[in-house]
Amino acid sequence: MSEPPSATSAVPEAAAPPAGDAIRVEGLSKLYRRTLPGDRLRTLKSALLRGSLTRGLSREESIAALEGIDFTVARGEAFGVIGGNGSGKSTLLKLVAGMLKPSAGRIVVDGRVAALIELGAGFHPEISGRENVYINGAVLGLTRRQIDRRYEEIVEFSGLADFMEEPVKNYSSGMYVRLGFAVAVHTDPDVLLVDEVLAVGDEAFSHRCVRRIEEFLASGRTLLLVSHSLDLVEGLCDRLLWIDNGRQRLVGEPRRVIDAYRQEVAEQEGEAHHAAKLQREEGGERSEELRWGSRQAEIAAVRLLAGGAERYHLETGEEAVFEIRARAAEPLTDFVFGVAVSTPRGFECWGTNTDLAGFVPGRFEGEATVRLTCPALRLAPGEYVADVAVHSRDGAPYDYMRRALTFTVTAATGGIGVYFPEHRWEFTGGIRWDDGQPPP
Amino acid sequence: MFRVAFQIFRFRGLLATLTSRELKARYRGSVLGFLWSLANPLLLLAVYTFVFSVVFKPRAEGAEPYALFVVSGLFAWIWVSTSALEGSMSLIANSGLIRKAVFPAELLPMVTVLSNLVHLLFAMPIVAVAIVTGRVLGEKVGGIGALAVPAIILLHLPMVAGLALGASALTVHFKDVRDLLANLLTFLFFLTPILYPLASIAHLRPVWWLVRLNPFTPFILAYQEALFVGRFPEPTLWLQMALVSLVSWALGAGIFERLRETLVEAA
Repeated sequence: MSEPPSATSAVPEAAAPPAGDAIRVEGLSKLYRRTLPGDRLRTLKSALLRGSLTRGLSREESIAALEGIDFTVARGEAFGVIGGNGSGKSTLLKLVAGMLKPSAGRIVVDGRVAALIELGAGFHPEISGRENVYINGAVLGLTRRQIDRRYEEIVEFSGLADFMEEPVKNYSSGMYVRLGFAVAVHTDPDVLLVDEVLAVGDEAFSHRCVRRIEEFLASGRTLLLVSHSLDLVEGLCDRLLWIDNGRQRLVGEPRRVIDAYRQEVAEQEGEAHHAAKLQREEGGERSEELRWGSRQAEIAAVRLLAGGAERYHLETGEEAVFEIRARAAEPLTDFVFGVAVSTPRGFECWGTNTDLAGFVPGRFEGEATVRLTCPALRLAPGEYVADVAVHSRDGAPYDYMRRALTFTVTAATGGIGVYFPEHRWEFTGGIRWDDGQPPP
Repeated sequence: MFRVAFQIFRFRGLLATLTSRELKARYRGSVLGFLWSLANPLLLLAVYTFVFSVVFKPRAEGAEPYALFVVSGLFAWIWVSTSALEGSMSLIANSGLIRKAVFPAELLPMVTVLSNLVHLLFAMPIVAVAIVTGRVLGEKVGGIGALAVPAIILLHLPMVAGLALGASALTVHFKDVRDLLANLLTFLFFLTPILYPLASIAHLRPVWWLVRLNPFTPFILAYQEALFVGRFPEPTLWLQMALVSLVSWALGAGIFERLRETLVEAA
């Protein structure tokens, strides 16, 4: 079970011996100057006189993109950075790459750095893939001869042999990434910085990238990866840093950081969902996209109940009740109530309806309350959404509410996937554990 | 200023690649391609010759034939002004490169300077042929001094580079620099003895001084001396060129260096 996140939990893991550090970041802050109208001349003046846009600015004139970041990355380590949009991840990467100068604090990077900051950055759209490989390689510090030697390898890795003479403006976004990544990893940097871009490649290429990164790490090189794909960072990284609004929240073992991050996102969403729901109840319809149907029957309210109260958060195995209040203005003789639980990404975990359960509709008129009770809802820890609908037996919707409920499931012990059966570990023979309570 | 020089030296291979790419890109999709680089000076030469030897004949002491006098200074000026103007936009035009990738930004204004230098080098043989033709036709132009032109260009290069570097970095923060520069260059064009020989304004003492102190003047005088008159420029002229070049480079590269850290944020 992950620790509850808190603003003070930014305790770095025990630092590796300095000699083995590939990246060391101490007390790092980065301010940006706010763009004020008619301020151009002052911007120029401060840039010229101080060599900085933000030195000597008051708090109102600047925005802190990052504040108080401290971490070290050991050589050979894969270090991930997660956090919401605008949390400062990319700024951090640019600082480590040396593109931006810290407003305060220190960054020490040992060795040659290659950075993949953005899709197709550093490529000239008008010229061929081949020429771009040479330009990109030269920017990363290779001589023409060194690139000559690696050219075949780069092309083979990118899988773009047939497109090398084509101007890169005709490339798809996936092709951009493939070529950019191929060049970056083949320039043998000591430290590779990757921002997000890997998610764009197709499955096969992603696998090749991951394999290549693993080889890269095995040879003692270092990776700093920024990503929204928690699955990717979990699979690849040894440790994670979670930044939230420019502040360091947690550094540590991936599972633990991701759990803490997910939990907070779920809580925020729960609150937001609750607030949105209140607003809806006060008046106004749900947006069309999330709700459709003929409205011959109408869903008035949907709640998730546990322990007799409305909840947005369940412990796995708890009794959970999906409650639907509905009304039909005209009498209906053909009706089915259904509930489907899925992950926010759309993976369906479980769904059922009154038809599947064998109920044959008789008559529905006026108001009614439908409760679906799960004596033990055994979902794996994570976030879930539920769609709720009333429709005819042939599937024509009367009222379909997408994401009618959003809730988070937690568990006392860890687990991945969507299903969390009751389980226990047993051990016999010559095995001893230093710690670990038997699961409840 | 040393870091700028060092970076340019370190990435010289990349600079060469980018410059040749720039030149190729300019004529991509055109049938005549590089021939256009020759067409422009040829056309200018033809027009000047026609206008100033057929339409009206200016009386300019020491500038006969006038068309040859004009072109011996004009192409160098075109190199300077185009480099400064295009150079001032070079960082903004390539902001994607410096904002999103680790890229040595000083290469961008340098690419403009060098690709325009190539155009000057294309124009030089045309000027040479025109002057030789003039000489064959009995005009008193040209001579062994033309051999000094490569050295003049080499000495001119740091001046143009300094101008482009400084302008590029300033424009990132202050877009007005470009318009300021465009107007200033128009003004300076007439303050430089390109369309008239310096001696022709000797009687207007204050103006003469203004023109003589214009930092572009020593270079133009040197080009005219070497190409049009056909003599090696005086040692004092070389000294003046070296001084202007040094100051321009130090100033331009210094400004660039000063603003370097802020370019990524503001470009």
